[in-house]
Amino acid sequence: MSKLLDINDLKVYFNTEEGVVKALAGVNFKIDKGSFHGLIGETGCGKSVTGLSILKLLDNNALIEGGKIIYKDENLLDKTEKQMQRDFRGNEIAMIFQDPGSSLNPVFTIQDQIQESVKMYKKASKQEYRNIVIEELKKVKLPDVEGLLDKYPHQLSGGMKQRVMIAMMLACNPNLLIADEPTTALDVSIQAQFLQVLKNLKEKFDMTVLYITHDLAVVSEICDYVSVMYAGRIVENVPVRELFKNPIHPYSYKLVHSVLGVKTLLENLEEIPGSVPRLIDPPSGCRFHPRCEEATDICKTKVPQLKKIGKNHYVACHRR
Amino acid sequence: MSNRKKYWTNKIIRTIITAIGVTLIAFLILHLTPGDPARIMLGSYASEENLEAVREKYNLNEPLYIQYWAWISSLAKGDLGTSIRYNRSVNTLIKDRIGPTLVLTLTGLIISVVLGVVMGILAALKRNSWLDYLTTVQAIFWISIPSFWLGILFLYIFGLQLRWVPIAGMVSYTSVILPALSLGLRQEAWFARPMRAEMLEVLNQEYIRAAKAKGLKYYIVVTKHALRNALIPIITMLALRLPWIIGGSVVIEVVFSWGGIGSLLVNSVKARDYPVVQAILLLISIAVVLANLFADIIYTWVDPRIRTEG
Repeated sequence: MSKLLDINDLKVYFNTEEGVVKALAGVNFKIDKGSFHGLIGETGCGKSVTGLSILKLLDNNALIEGGKIIYKDENLLDKTEKQMQRDFRGNEIAMIFQDPGSSLNPVFTIQDQIQESVKMYKKASKQEYRNIVIEELKKVKLPDVEGLLDKYPHQLSGGMKQRVMIAMMLACNPNLLIADEPTTALDVSIQAQFLQVLKNLKEKFDMTVLYITHDLAVVSEICDYVSVMYAGRIVENVPVRELFKNPIHPYSYKLVHSVLGVKTLLENLEEIPGSVPRLIDPPSGCRFHPRCEEATDICKTKVPQLKKIGKNHYVACHRR
Repeated sequence: MSNRKKYWTNKIIRTIITAIGVTLIAFLILHLTPGDPARIMLGSYASEENLEAVREKYNLNEPLYIQYWAWISSLAKGDLGTSIRYNRSVNTLIKDRIGPTLVLTLTGLIISVVLGVVMGILAALKRNSWLDYLTTVQAIFWISIPSFWLGILFLYIFGLQLRWVPIAGMVSYTSVILPALSLGLRQEAWFARPMRAEMLEVLNQEYIRAAKAKGLKYYIVVTKHALRNALIPIITMLALRLPWIIGGSVVIEVVFSWGGIGSLLVNSVKARDYPVVQAILLLISIAVVLANLFADIIYTWVDPRIRTEG
């Protein structure tokens, strides 16, 4: 399979009042064309920042310090804001966000907001636009589509808003869809439905998806390949089956064993000691070493690099 | 009764009560201030007989509650009474002078809102740039200058020295420029700052990021997605500032010899011309209350979240 996106040693810092937060300190992973790529890690490890960096939609106080984001042979970090808007956002790469409630503009109708995505590449009459929007809404399996067109976001439920959000982004015809914890705000029963819709769409329209989540169950359900992130670095890039069968990095291991099936839950549930480090003053060397039982001196001083240990399997650990 | 009907009935009843309350307070304040309209009209050497005749003619000797009742009952018939000073119907007096006042206040209002909103948007988009600072400085500048003084200053610079515009009265279309600017610039400051704050807040919203993620052009993101949301609180500001604009126009009209309601009001207060003052105060209070009502209507129109709750 060919590569669609190659993130190479991406470093993103944030200027805050307390100091510089080194949110991403060298992120490396590749996304194959047509794959369902998971990006998993604890809250605050930099998953969302990674997603937003790809579209260059970070907050104003963010600084992209280094690295490359190669999308189809072009480095997105070299592109101007204007080029990103015209050539990449929407028509090549689109993104759905965590909270569907705040991601739709409260003062415009559903039709208006989806139509905007279409208008950018297609001239049509009012009626034609209406029909296109109806088609887009049908794709995400929304009921009573015609009744939705003139509604405003606050009149819909959370699950419906999230689907409208997908419809709005898919109407742009992207090749790569970044989904940033899209199910966090949804009920569990709606989550399953939503994932099914996403999975079908991905197959039907031959999209590539980068799925950002902290939920291992979701990863096991839909992803082909996973990048495990810890405190601003990728610690393991691994096919999804390998992750559950044979997690190599101590963090991945703990992560997988902290959420098991109900049967083994009570006997074997492990927790990871300690807490997520503050990225304003991150641990030296391997950022996981203060919480790692196997840490030695080298872990405290030297940053481990990703190395190949199997087919499509990379891990960043001195002890492996 | 439906919710909507109840809402509007409520609003209208409150509007009427407010207007009546204002007239009562205005009536009392006027009559309790020292000064005899008959004496002012006839001069210090008038005979007691003549004074008494005038007082008799305008019911000035009756107890206050009777005077107020008489005024209210003729008001109910649409008659605002007769001016003591001009000895003419107050209705015609006001009718003759309302046009210029509307022209002045509306031009002032448009200047203040358009300038304020544009400045606020630019300041927010170019945050912490020289433009942003300039917006702040000019806002403080205009707010700090009393409008009558600003008017005199404008008159001196643009009317007397540069001779760009007429210095007084309503002689040509350009006459309105100076008074409207003196009125509008001061109010503009009140719109520019909140507009900037609103815009900054809205630009940080997730739906703005989502709009950009769709690949929308920056100017569409700003003028459509951000502006529409940022303008909602400005509508409230508009209703709140309107009394100040009307109040400002009273002073400005005097400075520029603008033959409107404002200068009529000032002259009538000086002459203790009770019927005229009362009528104008009633008119202004109705205008302010109506503006608030109007703001409510616009509100439901721009913000769909309110529309469905009502």
